[in-house]
Amino acid sequence: MRMLRNLTRRRVRTSLTILGITIGIWALVIFGSMANRINDMVGKGSAFYNSGAVSVWGGGGSMPKSNPIDISTAGRIASLEGVDVVVPGVSMNISDDAAGVSMGLPPMITGEVAGSDDGRMTIVLRAASGRMLTAADEGANVTVLGCDLARQYGKRVGDQVTLRGESFLVVGILDATLTQPDNSAMVPLAAAQRLYLSTLPSLVKLNLTASEVATGFTVYPKPNTAPETIAAEIKAADPELGTMTPGDFGRLAGSYAAMLNAVLIGIAFISLVVGGLSVVNTMAMSIAERTREIGIKRAIGASRVRIVREVVAESALIGCIGGTIGLVVGALIVTIANDAGRPSGTILFELTAGTAVSAVAFSTVLGGLAGFVPALHAARLDPVAALRYE
Amino acid sequence: MALIEGRNLRKTYNLGRRNTLQALRGVDVSVEPGEMVAIMGPSGSGKSTLMHILGLLHSPDSNHGPRPELSFDGRDMVALGEGERTRIRAREMGFVFQDFNLVPTLTALENVMLACDYAGGGGRHARQAALEALELVGLSERAGHRPAELSGGEQQRVAIARALVNRPSLVLADEPTGNLDSARSEEVLALLRRLNREHGQTFILVTHDAEVGEACDRIVRMRDGLIRDGRAGVAGAVAPGTR
Repeated sequence: MRMLRNLTRRRVRTSLTILGITIGIWALVIFGSMANRINDMVGKGSAFYNSGAVSVWGGGGSMPKSNPIDISTAGRIASLEGVDVVVPGVSMNISDDAAGVSMGLPPMITGEVAGSDDGRMTIVLRAASGRMLTAADEGANVTVLGCDLARQYGKRVGDQVTLRGESFLVVGILDATLTQPDNSAMVPLAAAQRLYLSTLPSLVKLNLTASEVATGFTVYPKPNTAPETIAAEIKAADPELGTMTPGDFGRLAGSYAAMLNAVLIGIAFISLVVGGLSVVNTMAMSIAERTREIGIKRAIGASRVRIVREVVAESALIGCIGGTIGLVVGALIVTIANDAGRPSGTILFELTAGTAVSAVAFSTVLGGLAGFVPALHAARLDPVAALRYE
Repeated sequence: MALIEGRNLRKTYNLGRRNTLQALRGVDVSVEPGEMVAIMGPSGSGKSTLMHILGLLHSPDSNHGPRPELSFDGRDMVALGEGERTRIRAREMGFVFQDFNLVPTLTALENVMLACDYAGGGGRHARQAALEALELVGLSERAGHRPAELSGGEQQRVAIARALVNRPSLVLADEPTGNLDSARSEEVLALLRRLNREHGQTFILVTHDAEVGEACDRIVRMRDGLIRDGRAGVAGAVAPGTR
């Protein structure tokens, strides 16, 4: 209570200082939530690769491509030593202009024969409503939509949805995964092959048959076989194929995420340093104003430790108030932005309890630290000189 | 035995590189328990410096000359560290200043409780003690007011209550009536005198005001950093320490 009254002595100055911290913590909350979201997507991606699967695509290079490969390649890969299961798949952008619209995760159509992974896939997708695809769906125009995609299109189980010019019956909608499947339409392999073929230039199309085309394979190694070994074998067998092992993915995603996190958190920290310096300034000013008061407190028996404690507690309170307001404003913006982005499938933020608590804790500690130097100065004042101070 | 006794008290302040001020040039002083002593003298005579040393706010110089001695309640004060001196100030001494020096954001009651708090007491007991101290100075009705809502005389009475709340054996007052008109001055002086008589507390007052001096048991007169005269005042007809 007393501390609050001290803060209200100079309302404008205290408010401005609190505003400084508020902006810093606000930035930390927003950017931290963004970083959470990115880390989450990367983490989920890593979880997929944790199964030890090697992704294979046509055309080489180190990044996955959507080039057509003859599906018979699957048989050749399967015959390599150490290979357990090969799942051919087709994936393509949901429309030609959709790429690059949403951050990191463009809406995709993916096709695999359901169950062809022999249960090796480590992310288990579940239908929030309706059902998942089964092998029996092959040949039918049915689809299971990711939750964000379903929301964006406004489709429910039983509705028809048009994908690349063909009409599909929505048989299921996925639970939220917070990563790629949320933005995907899963279709049977045969349907995906047909749709994919229609996207290719006519000259390329001439030489291809829908049922013989794939865009990639997911290769599961046998137990005790390293994904890297498999990847090397595949490349040796066909240099035209590109591979990505869990290790490659981790390095790639890790370096992207680390860079992004560094930039985001860096911006937030810069604003916090500015906020922290304004707390130092405020506390130094208010101590200068209260020199006589500190003198009298020392004279009537307040110990140095006690003076330091009073000043540090007061500046920590400034930090805590600023942090709490910043958190509230940040949380509000994050919620509004996510709600606004949900229809289009763009969820940019994820505010975790950890981020929230550490933001306020951090601002409180920052406030306290900022008050420490002025507090030491106050405690070292000679009480007699301080009493005479005008 | 004297409550507080100092010998060879010297203090030189460095004002600039070659500019020093010899505020005290070697003072011997002794105050008995229950005495009310005025320290008087012109500006710059060293009276405030003496009070600051007796009140443990400053230490006497120990270089160039005979070793200074300062005992309070039979204990040596010269060798004490800052922490211990602060503790004695909080628990066994009370201070009243010319400018009242109340904390502006706190009510009268909270200002008085602050002294309890620093002395290590707190909570319900502190509140009770503070209310009693305010009653003693006749301000219990104004306990909830902030300093800005009180007159100068009232503020000084709050400051006196704050000085007395821990029942210190020694109260030091630096020009306690210096900022008050003569009517308020008399009120405060009468209050101090009454507290001294009724509670037997020892008072050391630094003052310019001859009337304040006359009201005390004894006047210590200073000039140029030395004591010129330590004779008894009018009210000190009764020999100190015999009451």
